Amino acid sequence: MNDRYIMIHYGELGTKGNNKKAFVAQLNKNIRHALKNFDVNVTYDHDHTFVDFSGEAEPIISRLKDVSGIQRISLVYKLPRDLEILKQKSLELIKEAEGKTFKVEAKRTDKTYPLSSPEIERAIASIILKNTSFKVDVHNPDIKVFVQMRNDASYVYLNTVSGAGGYPLGMNGKVLMLLSGGIDSPVASYLLLRRGIKIECLHFASPPYTSTAVIDKLEDIIGKLSYYQEDIKLHIVPFTKLQEEIYNHVDEPYCITIMRRMMVRIASIYAKKTNCLAIATGESVGQVASQTLNSIQVINSVTNFPILRPLCTLDKLDIIKISKQIGTYDISIRPHEDCCTIFAPKKPKTKPKEEECLYYEKRFDYETFVNECVENIETIQFKSGEKVE
Amino acid sequence: MIYFDNAATSKPYVEAVEAFVDVNKNNFGNPISNHGYGRKAERILEKSRESMLNLLSLSSSFNLLFTSGASESNNIAIKGIAKKYKNRGNKIISSIAEHSSVINTLEKLKEEGFEVIYLPINALGYVDPKDLEKAIDDKTILVSIMSSNNEIGSISPLDEYSKIIKKYPKCFFHSDITQSLGKIKMDYGCCDLLSFSSHKFGGVKGTGGLVFKKNISFEPIENGGEQEYGFRPGTVNVAGIKAMEVALKKSLSNLDDNLSKISKLNLLLRGFLENNPQFAVNSPLNSNPYIFSFSTLKKKASVVVEALSNKEIYVSSVSACNSKKEPFSYVVYALTNDKEISANTIRVSFSPESSEEEVNEFVNALKQIIVEVKDR
Repeated sequence: MNDRYIMIHYGELGTKGNNKKAFVAQLNKNIRHALKNFDVNVTYDHDHTFVDFSGEAEPIISRLKDVSGIQRISLVYKLPRDLEILKQKSLELIKEAEGKTFKVEAKRTDKTYPLSSPEIERAIASIILKNTSFKVDVHNPDIKVFVQMRNDASYVYLNTVSGAGGYPLGMNGKVLMLLSGGIDSPVASYLLLRRGIKIECLHFASPPYTSTAVIDKLEDIIGKLSYYQEDIKLHIVPFTKLQEEIYNHVDEPYCITIMRRMMVRIASIYAKKTNCLAIATGESVGQVASQTLNSIQVINSVTNFPILRPLCTLDKLDIIKISKQIGTYDISIRPHEDCCTIFAPKKPKTKPKEEECLYYEKRFDYETFVNECVENIETIQFKSGEKVE
Repeated sequence: MIYFDNAATSKPYVEAVEAFVDVNKNNFGNPISNHGYGRKAERILEKSRESMLNLLSLSSSFNLLFTSGASESNNIAIKGIAKKYKNRGNKIISSIAEHSSVINTLEKLKEEGFEVIYLPINALGYVDPKDLEKAIDDKTILVSIMSSNNEIGSISPLDEYSKIIKKYPKCFFHSDITQSLGKIKMDYGCCDLLSFSSHKFGGVKGTGGLVFKKNISFEPIENGGEQEYGFRPGTVNVAGIKAMEVALKKSLSNLDDNLSKISKLNLLLRGFLENNPQFAVNSPLNSNPYIFSFSTLKKKASVVVEALSNKEIYVSSVSACNSKKEPFSYVVYALTNDKEISANTIRVSFSPESSEEEVNEFVNALKQIIVEVKDR
């Protein structure tokens, strides 16, 4: 018998009533996939998943922290139904933990056990109080010592690691993520993924104004994102002609606004085509001229398709912090021009007006170019970060 | 594909690759090992050294130190001499058009208290010997001026500099001959030290050399074993060195034929670009024909280079494109004093394998791209 398990506590799943079964099944599928490189046995019941493992617990826990739909992860010790052994193990665990106060919570699923739950709690609390400087705080303890007395054995664990939260990936449908290669869009992708929302990526390429090195960059970013979603599609829009047309027909201050409107048009058509339920962007309100509320409003008005903006209230420094944490920062800052930086107007409009946009858009037959863009999208399929030919 | 970026690196000769593989397969020993197999490797190494010195007609009074390439050679030569001979003086003379491995090494020495003079280049792209004559004095311990410039191909008159420097017996003369070796005719004996890389003349990457007069000593910049006269520690890359010897032999024996062929290609390209209002030619006449620099006058050079790249035609723009910091050629700026031209430089660099068809195809692609791409 292995005496250690990793116990996974489900998070917001608990609120999902009848759907819970499907959510739990999906989560466990995702957990098994995330742990495919570990020597583990995964089992689950109504409330918890148990990971039976050999070797170090830390790398497994660390991997599980990135699986959406997990509330907490605990390292659980399975012991004989002997109160003395339970007391000693509880003491040993709390001695290694950091904090000043504690509380013991016992649960007795085996009602035939001679001691009641409060009696078990008192017995364990007393050995801790005698042998450590921890004090009891039943309302807001730093450490909770959980003890369970079951028919087969007793269990003890401290609540340890927070999981990613959110819902199991794949339960919330998918969105079409506009991925530029900069710092923001990979972070937005990550926030969607850890909420349990699947992504497909759409990139606007304007060769030769943008370099093919940008595509290499995106491949590396997708490599990092594949940690959260195994299969990712990258759709590349050949944007050069349309972009040139915009710059031929639109006055400079409006170029970026019109360009973004075209991108949203293309993304809307393509999202429907790929069964994506929404578009997502890395926009953060006010960050640049095209991300002021005025701009967002005018850009958004070309579609009634939902546009998710996971970063909308985040500060640039917070975004950078997350991008460093998920490993995309160093990739994103590689110096290559993307379609937003080429021909960047000197004075872009921060408060564009929709009538003005419509006026400029009448100057050329953009629909033909938009359709041409959609028709010529090329897709690269990735599995575990590797291109699938 | 058309590969016109041979000044960055060249395709290794098949013979060089074969020599490299052969040594790795059959004589992988460490030349400082004290056994028969190590001594076999040592024999190969020393024969290559002797053979290369002979190929450069430098056998009697020069040593050849093997390095990882010209950047390392430049570091060893410049730092090693400056630190070893600082009691003789603290002045070093170089040019503003040197490779970054020279400039940045000198900048480091400047921080340490050395006086560094960067001489300007003239309209032909090299340091006027008169400027050197004016700048050099008894405090000068080192002059470092390259042979062929790596961006524009201008050739320095090393022999004229040498005559001036010889009047100052305490001063050494170093030259980075990376873009000249195996390409153009030159007198290797007029300098005290020469740096070069193998992969620019058909060898494999990771090997190079520093030729130096036997009476010169260096303060080693890296510490370790006693390899390479005690100036360059680390297990010696015998296979790479053997490949370098093979490549040098081949380059030098075909030098004249290759040179006349490449000169024709250079003139062909120059003819087209000089007559097109879209371009300005940067490379002065009579430069090293293997390197040809021009600028785009209306288009952004990095975009043109990317468009060529998408057609599998590979040439070089100044440096990696950076949306925040505009790329800028300080060499072309020194020559033209024009920021727009310096920021939109394209370098075409040939190898002996380059052909007239390739030049024509390149010219046609360029014509097409100029029509397609938006003005900057």
